[in-house]
Amino acid sequence: MTWHMDGGLATRYADGDLDATLAASVEAHLLACAQCRGLLAPQVPRARLDRVWDEIAEAVDSPVPGPFERLLRLVGVRDHTARLLAAAYSLHLSWISAGALVLLFAVLAARETTRWGLVGFLALAPIVPVAGVGLAYGRGADPAYEIGLAAPYSAFKVMLMRAAAVLVTSALPALVIGFALLGQNWTVAAWLLPALALTSLSLVLSRWFEPAHCALAVSILWLAGIAGTNLREPSLAMFSTVGQLGYLTITVVSGVLLVARRKEFS
Amino acid sequence: MSVVVEGLTKAYGRSSHALNGLSFTAGVGVNGLLGPNGAGKTTLIRLLATVLTPDGGTMRLLGRDPATERSAIRRRLGYLPQEPGYHRGFTVFEFVDYVAILKEMADRRARHDEVRRVIDAVGLTDVSGKKIRALSGGMRRRVGIAQALLGEPELVLLDEPTAGLDPEERLRFRELISRIGENRTVILSTHQIEDVAALCARVVVLKDGRSAFEGTPEELRALAKGHTWLGEKKGGLLSWRTGEGVFRSIGVPPEGARLVEPTVEDAYLLLLGEAALVAAG
Ligand SMILES: Nc1ncnc2c1ncn2[C@@H]1O[C@H](COP(=O)(O)OP(=O)(O)OP(=O)(O)O)[C@@H](O)[C@H]1O
Ligand SMILES: [Mg+2]
Ligand SMILES: [Zn+2]
Repeated sequence: MTWHMDGGLATRYADGDLDATLAASVEAHLLACAQCRGLLAPQVPRARLDRVWDEIAEAVDSPVPGPFERLLRLVGVRDHTARLLAAAYSLHLSWISAGALVLLFAVLAARETTRWGLVGFLALAPIVPVAGVGLAYGRGADPAYEIGLAAPYSAFKVMLMRAAAVLVTSALPALVIGFALLGQNWTVAAWLLPALALTSLSLVLSRWFEPAHCALAVSILWLAGIAGTNLREPSLAMFSTVGQLGYLTITVVSGVLLVARRKEFS
Repeated sequence: MSVVVEGLTKAYGRSSHALNGLSFTAGVGVNGLLGPNGAGKTTLIRLLATVLTPDGGTMRLLGRDPATERSAIRRRLGYLPQEPGYHRGFTVFEFVDYVAILKEMADRRARHDEVRRVIDAVGLTDVSGKKIRALSGGMRRRVGIAQALLGEPELVLLDEPTAGLDPEERLRFRELISRIGENRTVILSTHQIEDVAALCARVVVLKDGRSAFEGTPEELRALAKGHTWLGEKKGGLLSWRTGEGVFRSIGVPPEGARLVEPTVEDAYLLLLGEAALVAAG
């Protein structure tokens, strides 16, 4: 060691008045020299130390979020939105993959008779997002629901965000499975509007009933329709143009109702 | 007064009247809510937390009307429900951070600092990276208390926060609550009469959805002055054999008994009479 800090230098360093090069060489020296560290310690204002400490704490214990949250952030979702989504059980990877597996097995099981496979797939594909949305919010599904109710963040917004996320995370695998296993035909996407109609309808109903119950009721209604039109042979009657227009109408009307009555959801 | 409640009524369905015209006020300091099971404490706290809406009566919270200014009240509120649930897959930090987001703390750095502060306040810093499912019941309870302190709320509602805490932790908790109560309104429902005696400036005793007493713990204790007896024989309104083998009686004096200084608990029991006996099993 050829030099040591004097009081003046220590003060200027503590106040942050040194230029970057000089500060860096002071720091390099400080790492090796206990004597100068002792000289510096009383000079550093408490507030500055606290700030530095906070920064270190932030870097060290800001925990690495779970895999789903990281994935969301990767695709550009803001960190607090990602946390609100990660709290929903039906947005966990286990749930999402379970939904995809159900569809996959349904298609594979009916593979030999392609037409049944298609009907089965189209019938089940909307149920996956409806069930997911039904388990994404509300008293029964959200363990901290009561705490959330007393918080200012809009419960309506949480509901919509989670519903949208569930729709996306269940639609993507369903689209892949459909196009990969059932052919490059737009018919394999005919479940999309029914899925939108059923989920938005169950959102509207959840103003009065537990979301999971709404999802169940809507799903039963849907499956009854499918069963009714497929009594004898596989039929795509539920997916006709008229049907699709009907689903579109239900979606739009539900959407309008949701927006108009959003106050009643918190 | 930060909380002014008048003639509050709330019924669940047609038959069960949880609150029957309850009136009381609470100001800065720790306000205790006592009452037997089913007296309406939780119902009252949920009304104050703006989670329920009353059937009748008026409420003013922090000088505002919850019917029209709910969000403004929620921004200044901390709430620990009687049976709080947790996202068990979250770590302690993640869960408290989750609630902080619901409390609209948008800036991440400031939010994380606040999350660390409340986790530290309940002594959970060492386990802040642990999954909630891996915590003991008492530690989970402390996570619940931590989230209620986020954002330094002016009105803190705690529904039986000390249930399930060990004595040492209860003591720590008393310290924490009394510190919070220095410049904020804390409403604390509990069955722990010692907690009330130790830290509450005021007590409200609920009975059948109404206020049966409102005042300081000392005033409550004074109710039992001249009505608390110690003697060889059983008697009075309530009577039980103490550890020393003599009977402590409240109410009419049994033969040969002598008057003793009452505790807050004696007064509470006297006030509730039969109801307390039933509740105590
Ligand atoms: N969700 C509910 N549905 C129907 N009745 C309810 C409901 N919640 C409470 N009650 C009834 O309202 C009354 C008051 O209950 P409350 O939970 O407010 O009492 P409490 O004083 O908090 O009791 P405890 O000390 O057991 O927590 C009770 O008779 C209870 O049965
Ligand atoms: Mg209760
Ligand atoms: Zn040196």
